[in-house]
Amino acid sequence: MTVTLVFDGEAHVVEGEVRGDAVLLTPAALHEATGWELQPQGLCRGDVCVPTHALDGVAVDDLVDVAAFGAALRRPVALEPAASIAVLAESSDDLATTIAEGVAPAFTLPDLDGNAVALADFAGKKKLLLAWSSW
Amino acid sequence: MLIAISLDEDLVAARACAREETTVPLTYPVLVDRDHAWAEAYGVINVPTTIWIDEHDRIVRPPSIAPADDKFIEFTKFSAEPHHDALRQWVLEDVAPMADTEIQDRRNPPDPQLQLARAERRLAMYLLRAGHEELGHTHLGRALELAPDDWTIQRGSMPARGKDPFGQDFFDFYQRREAAGRPGYDA
Repeated sequence: MTVTLVFDGEAHVVEGEVRGDAVLLTPAALHEATGWELQPQGLCRGDVCVPTHALDGVAVDDLVDVAAFGAALRRPVALEPAASIAVLAESSDDLATTIAEGVAPAFTLPDLDGNAVALADFAGKKKLLLAWSSW
Repeated sequence: MLIAISLDEDLVAARACAREETTVPLTYPVLVDRDHAWAEAYGVINVPTTIWIDEHDRIVRPPSIAPADDKFIEFTKFSAEPHHDALRQWVLEDVAPMADTEIQDRRNPPDPQLQLARAERRLAMYLLRAGHEELGHTHLGRALELAPDDWTIQRGSMPARGKDPFGQDFFDFYQRREAAGRPGYDA
């Protein structure tokens, strides 16, 4: 079975299953979609680990519970088991840290024709970002 | 360098708007942040919002409301001209638009409830795109309850909810937000 995990603004269709109200992933799928890995010392990505004692309910049999994974990272999670989809937004603590640093976060977005454009394409220039909409 | 970023869910509407509303050919990139992931990273909760970034990628003016002209001054309550003057001075004469203390004061990090609203909105839009109408609207309803003052969630979802973002639904939202003392950032 596959489930859809939306993480860091990207949708990943990965191996997992729905049990009741829970959306579960295989550890390999979690790693593929998020870079986070269950290791003996805890939930880790690169040098950063959330220690095992703070991982309430993350491991369910040999799978990973997405809601508990989000809670361990203090990221809000929205789930729809009926459509096998889970969405993680950013943690407000992480966003507060980034905002306090005062540096423009890197991003890449499609233009109106679908071509990828990155902030880094305009390195060394003054930039004015304008958020707009048709509404 | 101007970089315009649309928060539209409806890409056809975004394209039509970008090409119809401008009187000069588009000489700058027009990007689309359909999932509001960029808006989330930058703390954008309304349009039109501008963010100024210097040559070293420092944010020298955090998210602020910045109308291009005075067409909607009745609603925005501020004129575009001071913003244009400050922009000219920054670009041409390198005059910093804000003191560091003001930049710090204006930083407006989100709370956990707004972040949950963003997750629910994003989920709702994925569901609606996939044709899960009922499930999509259930999650959109949760996002709307969680983020009563966020324009990108409230007004931005009006087209998906069959409501008119320029009609009575907008005026009702606008008046509720005015009565609440305009929460969020301003000019």
